Formats: sequence, structure tokens, C-alpha cells
Amino acid sequence: MTIDELVQQSGEWLKGTGPDSDVVVSSRIRLARNLSRFPFMTVATPEVRSDIQSFIRRRIEEGLGPRRLQYFALSKLPPIDRQLLFERHLVSREHATGEGERGVAVSSDETVSIMVNEEDHLRLQVLRSGLQLEQSYEQIDRIDTDLEQHLTYAYHPRFGYLTCCPTNVGTGLRISVMLHLPAAVLTKQIEKVLGTLGRLNYTVRGLYGEGTSPIGDLYQISNQVTLGKSENDLISEMKNVIPKVLEFERVWRHKLADDEPRKVEDRVWRAYGLLKHARVISSEETIEQLSYLRLGVYLGIIPQVPMTTLNDLFIFTQPSHLQKIQGKALESAERDVVRAEFIRKRLAAL
Amino acid sequence: MSPMICGKCSKNHATVHVTEVKNGVKMESHLCEECARAAGGKFTFSITDILANLIEPVKTPGAKTTEAGAPRCPECGISYAEFKAKARLGCANDYEVFKSGLLPLLEKVHGAVQHAGKTPHTVESVVRKETELARLKRELESVVKSEDFEKAAQIRDRIRILEGELNKGKS
Repeated sequence: MTIDELVQQSGEWLKGTGPDSDVVVSSRIRLARNLSRFPFMTVATPEVRSDIQSFIRRRIEEGLGPRRLQYFALSKLPPIDRQLLFERHLVSREHATGEGERGVAVSSDETVSIMVNEEDHLRLQVLRSGLQLEQSYEQIDRIDTDLEQHLTYAYHPRFGYLTCCPTNVGTGLRISVMLHLPAAVLTKQIEKVLGTLGRLNYTVRGLYGEGTSPIGDLYQISNQVTLGKSENDLISEMKNVIPKVLEFERVWRHKLADDEPRKVEDRVWRAYGLLKHARVISSEETIEQLSYLRLGVYLGIIPQVPMTTLNDLFIFTQPSHLQKIQGKALESAERDVVRAEFIRKRLAAL
Repeated sequence: MSPMICGKCSKNHATVHVTEVKNGVKMESHLCEECARAAGGKFTFSITDILANLIEPVKTPGAKTTEAGAPRCPECGISYAEFKAKARLGCANDYEVFKSGLLPLLEKVHGAVQHAGKTPHTVESVVRKETELARLKRELESVVKSEDFEKAAQIRDRIRILEGELNKGKS
């Protein structure tokens, strides 16, 4: 699998077929791991970084061979390809834009990605559609156990798996659920939701529009605590909290539709009209309008748009994707034209 | 409702509102567009800043000290001051070297200081082998005392194999 082949397909998590995918876009589980025989990334010299990468790459390729993970050495990829991996949620932003020897191993269905030389030597992640916490953990746990037969992790009986940042130590487990909460935002209940989750030790951040107010009503909820609880406890706790948020969101969606049907219909149809006919559209506007369209699909206002199409439009309208599809570098203004054209075609084909 | 004033320049109307929830604390900042731009998107609260503030400026006993008297890890070379400034560790050994500074930090962040999750198989098997080794050594002593030299030779062979395996795992 090459980056160009990656552009032609869409990952498992984008199919929108997972449980509760009306609100839960994706579930992501990641494990942070370091090798005992190397210093952490904070003090690793370029030579050591290079040694760590070759050491881990060999073990991933030999140890996990049958799974056929494709390894990409990021330092050898052009910026646009690295950006594409970020837009696909296969690497972090820092990993895409960082420097030095580093890489990522990706499974062909894009559920598994193993970042090498990110903040820790290894960041193993599983990304799946909808709410699939247990399945995702089982998958990453198996890979972790397989990999561990071929290398020795930095581990301490008291502190567990040792990580570069003390916020990840112990299980090294970060569970993240990406939620679409348009009704919570429209009914101005979102602050309450965020506040409550914060008090329960969950971190919440807007997925798009980082730094300023979030756009697209997409929120990522992650556990803060990684030490002192077992992996299963952390998963169960999250599994107990998320359904309550989903329930609230669904109730508010229906309340909106009942209380102000004209207003909601108008908003959804406007979003549909705009996306279907615009000639120039920015990334931000796309994300915002897609949020209303998604709400409209849920409420049955515009039933003909499948979830896969909505997810594809989110992913393929990002800067690097558009440029890879077009096969050339595009300035921001050119991208806005190409983006509008891409969306029009996809919606016209329905 | 009166318009909100920028929290930085206290002059213009605040149009950029940032809300972040970290460590269970909700933090808000309200900036005018000019100040928000000047901050270059860096007006968010950094996790490093928060963590660095949670690490106490204490000395770790038992660690090698620099001229200034601050502990330094003999393996990766980072000092307690560097750890405190960045809230990042340099190697696995730092967890021992900076333990006294880490424990209160872990308590604040995780509410716990003892791992309760997965254990690597290698660790499990090492523990198993070490336990067996200790048992065999005790057994060896007793069979030597009872002058069962044939049995002692068998045990010695088994000890040699186990020690070999344990040493291999360490390299």
C-alpha cells in the first residue's frame, strides 16, 4: 500500500457502520510504550533516533508480519503525504510536522497505526467506526502482546509502562471518543456537558477550529487518568459515561425538531443547498455545513445522504486530500474551488 | 448585555472565546481579534505549563548532584530542573531518580501512585524464573546436605539454564 493507494480508499472508521454512529463518529484507543534499552525521545540524539526506528521497524515487520502493516518512514515523505496521514487520523499533527527519523506502520483497513518516535518510542492505536471501545482495546492489546515477544518495554512494577510524560504512565492507555453534538451546541447545553465531563476527569476538546471556538460540533472526549486503574476499569468507566452524553444529545435533537421544526428544517436544507451548489467553499464552511447536514440525515429531513458520504466529505475535502486527488499542489483559493466541485459531484451522484 | 472586553489589552471587544477543560478545571479566555492573532493561536493553556507547576522544587535524595546541588540522572543526564521545566522525562531510570518529585505529581494527576494494569509477559516470565531459581537454590542446599549428589547435579544444570535465560533477557 502506498500513500497514493491510501487516497483512493477510505478507512474502516469512515464507513459509519459502528454502534451508535448517529452520534459517535469514531472510537480510538492508544497505548504509549517505550523500549527499556534506549533513552526517551526527549534526549535521543539523531543517531539514537535512527537506531530506535530501525530496531522497532524490524520488529514490527518480523513480529507482526502476517498482519501486513505498511511502514512509512515519515522523514522520507514529502510534507503533503505526511499531512495526508494526519488528515486520515493515522498520525498526530506533531508526528506529521515534526523533525528527525520517525515513522508509522499502518494496516490496510486503516484500523491500526503504530507511530514510531513520536513523543514515546511507540504509540499503538486502533481507530474504529462508532462506539467500539472493547473491540478496539482487544485488538490493540493483542498487537501489543505480540510485539512484546520481540522487544523489551520500559516497565516498572510500581509505575507500570514508563512514558516520557508522566500523564501517560501506568497503562499508557488513552481512550478517545469522537462525538457529533450539534443539538447540544444549538440548545447551548454544550458548556454543561463539557463541565460535567471535566469534573469526571475527562478531557474534552473541539476537533476542528483548534484554539478558538470549535467548529463542526465535533468533540473528542478522552480519559485523563492512566495510572492506578486497570485497562478494563478505564474502558468500563468510559463505557458508562458516554451513553449518558449520547442520550442527552438524542433528546435535544428531537426536542429541537419538535419545538422549532421550521427553524431546524430551514437550517438543514440551507446546508444541503449550499453544499450542493456552492462554487467556492472553505474548509471551515464545509465542516460547519456538514454538521447540519448530518443532523438533517439523523432527523430524517434529508434521508438520502448515507453516513459514508458524509464522512468521506469530511475527510476528502481537507487540503492534502484535495491536492492528492488533483495530483498537484494547490493554493488555498484554488482548493476552495476544487473543494466545492468535489462536494457538488459527490452529492449529485446520490 | 454589555459587550465583553478583551482580557489581554482591556481595550477592544472580545470576539475570540476559548474554553478548555483540563485536569477537571474549566478555563476561559476572552480576547479581541488583534490579541488572539498576536498570540498566534498559542493562547491556549499548555499542558506542559500546568504540569510544570505541579512539580515541586524539591531535591531528590540519593541522586548524583550537579554543582548547583540539584539531582541529575546518571544515565540520561537530565537534571531535576530540566524535568521540572518541561515535565518530561529522559529515560526509564528517571522514574527512580526523580521519584520524590514524581510521586506528588502522579498523585495529583492520576490520584494514584501504583500501577494496576497490564504486565508485560517478559516481566511475568522473569518473575516466574526468578522465583523458580530461588526455589532451586534452596533445594540444592538441602540435597547437598543430604549428600544426594546425583539430584544436586540435575538441579545445578537447571539453575545454569535458568540463569543463562535471565542473563540473556537483560542484554
